[in-house]
Amino acid sequence: MTGACIGARILAALLALPLALACGGGPGDARGARRLNVYIWTNYLPAEVVSDFQRRSGIRVEIDTYSSNEALLEKLLSGVADYDLVVPSDYMLQALVAQRLLLPLDRRRLPGFANLDPRLLDRKFDPGNRFSLPYLWGTTGIGYDRLKVGAPVDSWGALFDPRWAGRILMLDDMREAFGAALLLDGRSINERDPAALRRAAARLRAQKPLVRTYNSSEFASLLAAGDVDLAQGWNGELAKVVAQDRRRFAYVVPREGGTLWIDSLAVPSTARHLDAVYAFLAYLLEPPVAARVVGGVRYASANRAARPLVDPAIRDDPAVYPPPAVLDRCELIEDLGTLTPLLDRLWTEVKAR
Amino acid sequence: MAESPEHEGAAAPPPRRRTAGRRSGPPGGGWGSRLPGGGWGGRPPGGGWGALALALPAWLVLGVFFLLPLALMLGVSGAERGVYGGLRPVADLAAYLRSGAFLASYRQTLQALYLGIAWRSLWMAALTTGLCVAIGFPAAYALALHAPPRRKGLLLGLVVVPLWTSFLIRTYAWMFILRSEGLLNHLLLGAGLASRPLPMLYTGGAVIVGLVYGELPFMILPLYAALERLDRTLLEAAADLGAGRAAVVRRVTVPLALPGLVAGVVLVFVPSLGQFVVSDLLGGAHTMLLGNLIQNQFAVARNQPFGAALAFELTAAVLLLLAAGARLGAGRAAGAAGAGAGAAGKAANEASASGQPQRSWELL
Amino acid sequence: MTHPPHPPRWPRALLAAHTAAVYLFLYLPIAVLMAFSFNRARQTAAWEGFTLSWYGEMLRDERLLGAVRNSLVIAALATVLATVIGTMAALAFAPAGSRPRRGRGATEVLLLLPVILPEVVLGAALLTLFGAWRLRLSLATVLIAHVVFSISYVALVVRARLAGLDPALAEAARDLGAGSWEVFRRITLPLALPGIAAGALLVFTLSIDDYVVTSFVAGAGATTLPLYVYSLLKAGVTPEINAVSTALLAVTVALIAAAHRLLRHEPGSAG
Repeated sequence: MTGACIGARILAALLALPLALACGGGPGDARGARRLNVYIWTNYLPAEVVSDFQRRSGIRVEIDTYSSNEALLEKLLSGVADYDLVVPSDYMLQALVAQRLLLPLDRRRLPGFANLDPRLLDRKFDPGNRFSLPYLWGTTGIGYDRLKVGAPVDSWGALFDPRWAGRILMLDDMREAFGAALLLDGRSINERDPAALRRAAARLRAQKPLVRTYNSSEFASLLAAGDVDLAQGWNGELAKVVAQDRRRFAYVVPREGGTLWIDSLAVPSTARHLDAVYAFLAYLLEPPVAARVVGGVRYASANRAARPLVDPAIRDDPAVYPPPAVLDRCELIEDLGTLTPLLDRLWTEVKAR
Repeated sequence: MAESPEHEGAAAPPPRRRTAGRRSGPPGGGWGSRLPGGGWGGRPPGGGWGALALALPAWLVLGVFFLLPLALMLGVSGAERGVYGGLRPVADLAAYLRSGAFLASYRQTLQALYLGIAWRSLWMAALTTGLCVAIGFPAAYALALHAPPRRKGLLLGLVVVPLWTSFLIRTYAWMFILRSEGLLNHLLLGAGLASRPLPMLYTGGAVIVGLVYGELPFMILPLYAALERLDRTLLEAAADLGAGRAAVVRRVTVPLALPGLVAGVVLVFVPSLGQFVVSDLLGGAHTMLLGNLIQNQFAVARNQPFGAALAFELTAAVLLLLAAGARLGAGRAAGAAGAGAGAAGKAANEASASGQPQRSWELL
Repeated sequence: MTHPPHPPRWPRALLAAHTAAVYLFLYLPIAVLMAFSFNRARQTAAWEGFTLSWYGEMLRDERLLGAVRNSLVIAALATVLATVIGTMAALAFAPAGSRPRRGRGATEVLLLLPVILPEVVLGAALLTLFGAWRLRLSLATVLIAHVVFSISYVALVVRARLAGLDPALAEAARDLGAGSWEVFRRITLPLALPGIAAGALLVFTLSIDDYVVTSFVAGAGATTLPLYVYSLLKAGVTPEINAVSTALLAVTVALIAAAHRLLRHEPGSAG
């Protein structure tokens, strides 16, 4: 058997493999079945919520995930991404609307709209909610180990405190990190004054030796594992850790303020399966469904009518559903437009040294 | 098996052809360090036209799906960032070009902050490469020259197998091993060697471990290939002539394996320059390296012109490095091969000394 | 012929120890991965009992299986395409004797660029291209991307192999009257086969593991394994990932072993 002969056989085998696999029934090849392509944050849709929808409607839901708003923007800017539903954060929604990448929503097809919490509607990033429906919302604050830290934490200063050198975690997020520093300076997280931004950058540079790690995905597990004693983070993940051991862990939105973030459902202008999207949106607006979403992801839902249906343990958790006093001192992140390169440069300086 | 005839042949100057021929080693020859001009000595089927036909698909595919997008990116690197991260539309192209504004991103890359990042990345890549050589060379040597021939394929395969797991997962495995509640600390605490968990993760050391870990197989493979094709008789001849063990390695083995070494260095150094995952996951995202910087421009800062400019400069720099290395390494390889051969007896190596030097990356 | 005095034992032993340590180093994370895919515990390094539940969870995970299928399909197709195109390119531009071929410099650079260029840029560039052409993102776009960055690797590996071939063999064949095509088919190709196989293997590895470029050009329903794994990791490391890696590793090793047995009877495929 010559080498070429063997080679030819292997080549043939390799060619047969994909054909065999592809014929085995790939995703989305069910002819005639309706289909919905969702592009959403990791872990933002409990599997059973999706499968329930698929059963009820007969629509096949294809889910792809992203872990940054900018990845979403990249895909939508290309114009060839073929997603029917996306879930941008507040400032990204603003950018998407401004660049006309979203489809205006037909309110008539969404009777469940009335279920949404008015406090979260009609915000600057989408006045009148022409393009989006708020989905989940929360805060950014500090999760900490009460036993290690001792006194209750109530200020962003704790993250900049040399006493906890090497035991601090910051989010690897430019806006959130700067947010903490700016709030400590008494400024807004959407500060546009370059001098104030530079001062905040100086604070962050001074803080750097104290920081064990900058991490946006494992802040909760690192706190739980004892790698760090203080972690900046988003409330949902931290609330889960706190709920596991309330004596040991706590979550707080510092007195200087914090970030309020709202992630909204939106439809790209290139969406092809509009019937399916509206069906799914209507489904998500149903209070029982929204309550199940909350139970699965442990973030607060924008669906006010769902709140009574939520598991009391979560509903009464101030980390997940903060009282109005906390919300009052939180701000939404806004896109900084032309200031972003400056901020990025300052962030690079913080990271580079 | 071919050893004894060679021994006899080494004493007297053999005719050139026989040296470069079959007796010089296993069929297929070596890595070219002894062949005149290397190459398979043939013409592609069909002669010149055949060559064109053979090359056409590659040129087509790469031309359309690589060069064309790259040209687009080149254009992007000359553009300006739009308000929300896209590109700002240029009203008057001629004026834009004349004003030199299209070089803004390139000019920005020359600022001290970014040059510092580039320097640090260079240093980190060099350190990784150096460690890979230090660790990989003895291992490749042992594999090539000491391992039992029947096991060689298996052992070499074992070096490659780790590459078959996802790089991301292997890096996470290291996190699992190194973190405070991780395996290593667990063992240390359990064995009583430490009273509290050692902070191993999120340190510079962890990054180096991760980088070396990822790149080591790429150093071992070319080194092994070069060492394996080495003519053992040369080493024996050197020993016969009285060279001590260390001297044999230093003056014969290493020079003859140089092309493999150069290939390994290239295979390790270049990817290390553009690395960003390891420094994020294992280093706690403390340091911004070139890879992080470029990634950042595309992912966070949404400043594609700047990111593209950085990437093109990095690419150009590496190309220059390779070209320089090829000229140096090739010359050195030919000279070293000649010197190494000389130490074993000039006779056997007229061929390689006069032959065309091998280009470094042909050995990738 | 007298033998040289027997060399001292200890350097050899030291070398062997060093090599063993290298293997240990290379396999430590793999071993950990595999061991803890059977561990009942979720996060900690404490052993809490043997279980196959993570494998069960892995098999029940539809999205995972879909991602695996996508990855395998793309890897297989990319391997075939890239190997064929890359080998042809290597044959066309391999150093043939001492005559430098016109245009070789340009081809060198062309082949090197995909290897050197940061993947981020390649991904962004391809996304821009597809956007400009209004070509919808799908498995096909992922395949194109994979083929693009793989061709170079194959060409470089095959060319290295060709460079090491003994020209005397081809010359001898020609002396015996074989035409150019026959020489190619019966001498060059078989001798080059280990290089081609190595190149194909390399492409398969790269394709299966590619994250950066794929993340740019994958569309709805085109999630590959690395993309899925990345999202799993972002969601919190669970042993299901360990199970996935172990399973994939086992399958790949089995495939390679099988291929190795097939090729073992191959003349001239030393090492």
